[in-house]
Amino acid sequence: MIKPSLELKNLSVHYGHKRVVHDVNLALEPGQTLGLAGESGSGKSTVAMSVLRLLPRTAHVEGEILLDGDDVRTMSWGRLRAVRWASASIVFQGAMHSLNPVQRVGEQIAEPMRLHGTGGSVGELLEQVELPLGKARAYPHELSGGQKQRVMIAMALACGPRLVIADEPTTALDVVVQAQVLGVLKRLVAEQDLGLLMISHDLSVLAETCDDLAVMHRGELVERGRTREVIANPRHPHTAALTAAFPVIGDPAHRWAEPAPEPQPLLEVRDLAVDYGRTRAVDGVDLTIGRGEIVALVGQSGSGKTTLARTIMGLRTPSSGRVIFDGVEVPRKGKALKAFRRQVQLVLQDPASALNPRHTVHDAVAEGLRVHGLADDEESQVTAAVERAELRPASLYLEALPHELSGGQQQRVVIAGALVLQPRLLVADEPVASLDASVRGEIVALLLRLRRELGLASLIITHDLGLAWQIADRVAVMHQGKIVEQGSVEQVLLNPTHDYTRALLRAVPQV
Amino acid sequence: MRLAGRLGGAAVSLLMVAVLGFFLFRVVPGDPVVSMTRGRPTTAAMQAELRTQFGLDRPLVEQFWHYFTGLLRGDMGTSFTFRRPVADVILERLGPTLLLVGTSTLIAVVLGLWLGVRAAWRRDSGFDRATTGVSLTLWAVPTFWLGMLLMMATGDLFPSRGMRDTDTAPDFVSQALDVGHHLVLPSLTLVAVVCAEYVLVMRSSLLEEMHAPYLTTARAKGLRDDLVRRRHAVPNAVLPAITLVFLRFGLVVAGAITTETVFSWPGLGLLFYDALTGPDYFLLQGLLVVTAGAVVVMNLLADVLHGVLDPRVKVV
Amino acid sequence: MTGFRTRWFSRVGRGDGAVGGFLAHRAGVAGAVVLAVAALVAVIAPLFIPADALDVTRVSDAPWQAPGLGHWLGTDHAGRSVALLVVQGAGTSLFVGLTAAVLSVGIGTLVGIVSGHFGGLAAGVLLRVTDFFLVLPALVLAIALSTVLPRGLGTIVLAIGLTSWPSTARMVRAQTLTIEARPFVERARALGGGHGHVIGRHVLPSVLPLVLVNATLAVASAIVAESTLAFLGLGDPTRISWGAMVHQAQLHGAVPQRAWWYLLPPGLAIVVVVLAFTLVGRALEAVVTPKR
Repeated sequence: MIKPSLELKNLSVHYGHKRVVHDVNLALEPGQTLGLAGESGSGKSTVAMSVLRLLPRTAHVEGEILLDGDDVRTMSWGRLRAVRWASASIVFQGAMHSLNPVQRVGEQIAEPMRLHGTGGSVGELLEQVELPLGKARAYPHELSGGQKQRVMIAMALACGPRLVIADEPTTALDVVVQAQVLGVLKRLVAEQDLGLLMISHDLSVLAETCDDLAVMHRGELVERGRTREVIANPRHPHTAALTAAFPVIGDPAHRWAEPAPEPQPLLEVRDLAVDYGRTRAVDGVDLTIGRGEIVALVGQSGSGKTTLARTIMGLRTPSSGRVIFDGVEVPRKGKALKAFRRQVQLVLQDPASALNPRHTVHDAVAEGLRVHGLADDEESQVTAAVERAELRPASLYLEALPHELSGGQQQRVVIAGALVLQPRLLVADEPVASLDASVRGEIVALLLRLRRELGLASLIITHDLGLAWQIADRVAVMHQGKIVEQGSVEQVLLNPTHDYTRALLRAVPQV
Repeated sequence: MRLAGRLGGAAVSLLMVAVLGFFLFRVVPGDPVVSMTRGRPTTAAMQAELRTQFGLDRPLVEQFWHYFTGLLRGDMGTSFTFRRPVADVILERLGPTLLLVGTSTLIAVVLGLWLGVRAAWRRDSGFDRATTGVSLTLWAVPTFWLGMLLMMATGDLFPSRGMRDTDTAPDFVSQALDVGHHLVLPSLTLVAVVCAEYVLVMRSSLLEEMHAPYLTTARAKGLRDDLVRRRHAVPNAVLPAITLVFLRFGLVVAGAITTETVFSWPGLGLLFYDALTGPDYFLLQGLLVVTAGAVVVMNLLADVLHGVLDPRVKVV
Repeated sequence: MTGFRTRWFSRVGRGDGAVGGFLAHRAGVAGAVVLAVAALVAVIAPLFIPADALDVTRVSDAPWQAPGLGHWLGTDHAGRSVALLVVQGAGTSLFVGLTAAVLSVGIGTLVGIVSGHFGGLAAGVLLRVTDFFLVLPALVLAIALSTVLPRGLGTIVLAIGLTSWPSTARMVRAQTLTIEARPFVERARALGGGHGHVIGRHVLPSVLPLVLVNATLAVASAIVAESTLAFLGLGDPTRISWGAMVHQAQLHGAVPQRAWWYLLPPGLAIVVVVLAFTLVGRALEAVVTPKR
């Protein structure tokens, strides 16, 4: 019988009275790749950190953590230090902060080799992760996000461990870069026959890299099996919710948008250009959004999509070009601009930061009314908007502060704050990107229902082509400040004509 | 470009120091000559003569031009009490102050940073509580009072006035020992107060870094705790702390004024005290320009040094 | 109406949380108690001290008496009771400390918010001026100011207040920029909110707790600054303050005479009150800064 390289037996972790991980049993054979999926707070990162005993002192750990048969929990400090990085290493979440900012990356890669007295060279490691040798002399801030993550991978392989733990290794990265980094990781794991425990909230990322999949929910392991089988036939309802949250492009079951009504133009953007100093962020964009239409604006970070949205809302002044709303050019200042802002409302990515932590739900929703001096009958208008956003009954929520609400509820509050002004267009910047997978579907459904019931048009800004497939009538693809392709969802996502659109589609991890 | 920008910024600051020094002593209620001669028997004619001598009867613009061009040549006017050029008087007192401030700052920085690092690393330990408690108390102690207390407590153990005795043998070793002996109490006073500030700055700077994810990376690599601290946490925390230390150099200047006054240490601080008791406006103005200018230059040095030491800051 | 009432009660409940948080810091509570006592003494004591007892020309007791039955903290160079002087001096020190801190923090907050909220040339100039004064030794400027202005309490307050605002301005500016970078401010702008709305509803409420902390710490440094100015002989000659007492002690040779009872009490009073303000400030800081 092969000894598992990692075996967790009845692992439980408490912080005081708070149970974070409960009775987890998990084994990983040498060379096996296992994905551990779960939403924020499911305890998946705690499991990862417990393997090398890296949890803070306040954590109370029970059960056995067997690394090559030795229990990490009862090891002496000396033995533990010898085991760390040599037997198992970690690719940490957010390479930005996990690398020492004032030390050259070459030195940081070499450090564990010197410490553990293993051979090998920094140059070889950098070559393996496809970075030029010269980057060894760079400081972390001189590297891009993808390069930093490659350095993390090179560092993890420095002492030739048999097991690599990757904790959300690509979360902060752009789709295209994410695909590249995953490619490197996958290749190295296969070439060197490494064991891989990869942790992510994103099932599609795990599906792309791991043969086996385990799902955690509220500290417990709820499902474990071959990746394909788990995704095809989820047995636990939570797994089912997770799989449903990642729409498959081209699958009609994941296309929720009903056919749009005959579009009459509501908003027209004509030859718009916006400059930041000397850089042109938006370069000659034409875009039309019809009444009640949902348009997805997709592109990588830095493509100019957010700047375009801000300019449409009148939050930035364009360098040239026009924005026409309902047949009238959007005013650039004064009372007219203020009046225009009632018509177009903004929904931001991270609802937790889009709400002032000191304001109650009531204050947050009423803010727009107060700004526009529409505060008569405030109570009933606020209640109506909150209930429209499906927080029912409103009285339960009105006095709550943002931190007392879940992420999904917070996003509903933001939407309610927009609805209360009875806008005609919603500009939503990554409206579901920071929400947990199981809530995501509910918010998408809400946006669609608002369109159906109120005829509310939306401009959805996203990097997520799956979301576009799920919700939009039309898609516009933005690249380096220009819209390179636009058309109906089916047309753009199923039969792309522009190379960049094809590259984006290729980068989407396949389940 | 950045370095040029820094240099330009410092030049503007120095210009502002010069302007400030001029107007602070001109745009004041009352006649400077009247307040300078207060308590001395003077006639109106003598006052008028003084006005002409100091150029105070000229238009303000002309006075400023005269003052400013003089400043560029190193001419800061004539001291009223010493009847000598302000620049000469200041130059002659520079040495003792540099000795006192230099020794004390060096000791305070080394001791303060070391104590701060240790306290932060063992947060909430007995050592941390004691160090923080003592530092907070010392921070609350007025420098001059501490100096007087030390003087009273040590009695005749250490000399408490001046920098050297008149009857010391003229050879170098005896002179140096004598100055060192005189230096003990003033520098102890200055170190105590300044060091407290540095401990608190260093401690909070390291505490900020304590939860940085890269320290977890270092631990995961198998580094011993003290190596994690020495190689990773401290280099990151020390740089901002040193910048802050330089930024609060004004504190040292303030401490030097009162310490020198208490111990009659013949430096710029004591000169300051003499000038303000006069009051001797030209001397005061010269001292203000010199100390403020020195602080601006120190800051520029700290900035440049920080740029050289900290790779995150680019100085090209 | 119930809506209003529950809202009000829930706010009060949250206020309790902050008070509870403060009470958890024992050092802070001790500081607050010390300050309450000091304030009480400063306000009440002068009513009970006969004017003659502190007038150099009318005191008949022997000078330089060591502590004993008659004067339990001894007498000064003129035969006045040191205990009475310390009690009388509390008022001056606390008054100057508080008013100078209010002045300095007020200027700092205004400059900080203006230079943080409004961009452009004016903000740039304000920032440059702030940085300039931040670097300059505040005490040297305060000395220069109090030398050229007529002696008096107002001069001292002005000298300290006008020279110590830059650190508050920097802190408030940084906080303003942090708040303005938050998405909820962008949301407020998108809703149509102008400068007044953003500052009044979002920036100011977020900055105020920190301003309070800063004000508390500013009182501490203002009291030290006042004592230093008084020690250098720049204080209000008609008033007794702790710093002025040390000045007198120095002037009349308390050190060579080993008159520890003259030197120790005023200095200790400064240390205790300044430390109390510092401890309260740090406790407040711990309460208002969210933990990571």
